[in-house]
Amino acid sequence: MPYKTRSAIGKIFLLCWFLTAILVAPKESFYCGSAYSQEDWRKEFDEICSKTENAMEFSVEELRSLVNRCDALKSRVEKLDEPQRKITLRRLQMCRDLYAFAFEMKEKK
Amino acid sequence: MLKKTFLVGVLVLGIAGVSLAQTGVKKKRPLPFEYGRVILNSYSEEARLSPVVFDHWLHRAKFTCRVCHVDLTFAMKTGTTTIKASDNMKGYYCGTCHNGKMIFQGVKIFESCSKKFLPEDVKRCDRCHSLGKNVKREYDFAKFSERFPKERFGNGIDWEKSEAAGFINPVDFLEGVSIPRKPLSTQKDFALSPKLESMPEIIFSHKKHTVWNGCELCHPEIFMGVKKGATKYSMVEIFEGRYCGVCHSTVAFPLLDCQRCHTKPVQQ
Amino acid sequence: MGLLVLFMVGFCFILAFVGGASGKPLPIPHEYGRVIIRNFSEQEGLGAVRFDHWLHRAFYTCRLCHVDIGFAMEANATKIKADTNMKGFHCGSCHNGTRVHGSKKVFAACSLGATLGEDTRCSRCHSVGKKVRKEYEYASFTEKLPRKGVGSLVDWEDAEARGFIQPVDFLSGVSIERPPLTVQKDFSIASRGWMSAIIFSHKKHALWNGCEVCHPDIFPSVKKGTLKYSMFQICDGQYCGVCHDHVAFPLNDCQRCHTNPVRR
Repeated sequence: MPYKTRSAIGKIFLLCWFLTAILVAPKESFYCGSAYSQEDWRKEFDEICSKTENAMEFSVEELRSLVNRCDALKSRVEKLDEPQRKITLRRLQMCRDLYAFAFEMKEKK
Repeated sequence: MLKKTFLVGVLVLGIAGVSLAQTGVKKKRPLPFEYGRVILNSYSEEARLSPVVFDHWLHRAKFTCRVCHVDLTFAMKTGTTTIKASDNMKGYYCGTCHNGKMIFQGVKIFESCSKKFLPEDVKRCDRCHSLGKNVKREYDFAKFSERFPKERFGNGIDWEKSEAAGFINPVDFLEGVSIPRKPLSTQKDFALSPKLESMPEIIFSHKKHTVWNGCELCHPEIFMGVKKGATKYSMVEIFEGRYCGVCHSTVAFPLLDCQRCHTKPVQQ
Repeated sequence: MGLLVLFMVGFCFILAFVGGASGKPLPIPHEYGRVIIRNFSEQEGLGAVRFDHWLHRAFYTCRLCHVDIGFAMEANATKIKADTNMKGFHCGSCHNGTRVHGSKKVFAACSLGATLGEDTRCSRCHSVGKKVRKEYEYASFTEKLPRKGVGSLVDWEDAEARGFIQPVDFLSGVSIERPPLTVQKDFSIASRGWMSAIIFSHKKHALWNGCEVCHPDIFPSVKKGTLKYSMFQICDGQYCGVCHDHVAFPLNDCQRCHTNPVRR
């Protein structure tokens, strides 16, 4: 196949690929500054805050790590729209404060 | 000169304060169906609607305290949640369930707020925005609680016995809202000693409280002391609505019933 | 400047004093303890309610009405409605046409569709401004009861001790029994001024009132001596004055409380 034909086919492929990517990809991934999708923060939130009722069973290191994870998640939750932001922040705060409380209790023992 | 003016000011305020004091009187006690009533008026009057009348007893029979006050993040102080119609319409706060779609125990739960409504929809608004209106409620307190075991004061119902006897089965998990969790590790009950020697000791039912509330509802916001016995509080603070009084002054069984907590017999 | 300060302080005290302590008339026995209830009666076209404590005082403890049934201890504060009476609350706890007292059925308090007139059931309570013949008259009922103090009011304590009255403390369907709390000891309350100290009869008060009538609503503090209050407040209807201003023996009778002899 002559070079010119191969080059043209290659360019058409590339164009098709781009178009597919634009149509299939989630909208959120185009926003500047939003490094994670909606699903990721929720997953992390569920994972961290599902353990509050067993807080007293964790070690001091585990509790410290959970508090840090809450603090890291807070900046992501801040970017949500209202009122989801307000409500999730409050829920996250309760979750974080409980781990901090359990941490303090274990440390002072 | 400044000292004298200050003294006079303090005296005047002192006398004024004394005359306006809330202690020393015996006010009306809410009737069983009124106990736990909360009036919500952050924005209702601005929107030209009557303030919302929320009676705890019905939701109390159907859900645990934790579902609303932790999962849905309702505050435990009137007027501090600041619920908006737009929040409800987006599926938060009341709108989590009151969305016209959720089916709970075979009943479709009515939609709480909507942007556009016809004149016949006003009746739906009045179901909640009912202060000052004579709105017939769907559930009648007397009929609903007829067979429940009775207790003194408050709602006049022994909620604990009602649950044990199977009259109520409070739901603790809302699909899509509550975070799936491992079961709670059982908390131990413990004794609290009152300062006044002639009052019986309190056996604090930590186990029961955690079944309905989880951990986050009380810790650390209401009870922040990490070491048992470290936080000292008195009945005066409890009567003011702090510590145990957060719930037990207006919604859970009232502080008037001393012996519900002070249960251990005094060693004579 | 000093004079101005003195004047302002004096003026405040006069205001408090006039508002409370002075000018209390001597009680008229058959009117003492009368409460006029007019939250909603008049707007419904009924006369205001006239409730005389003495009759119920002879039959029931203070605790039964003010704790078990839940009446407030301030006129018009309970906000009793015909609707709630008919549902068996407040007056309707007994006044329901079925509860029996002694050998008689207690008349029903309120109902829909009652005819209004001088001799109807409604006027038995809604009697302000009307000439209503009561079933029990004060003079005949209290004829044999012992009297005491200012105004020669009935000495209820003595009446009970001598067996003239047996106040009921339990209402079936309303009261829920409780194991009794420790009997409280009497204690002395020091008076600030020249008046003698008070021996407060905690034991007797608890016998008639239980604990909940006074605690925590009227006396919230549980540690003795932490709650400070004055005669101004008592005369204004707070603390001891909740009962002893209008219903229990009046405050004119100083020596019923200030029992210790004055130091000369």
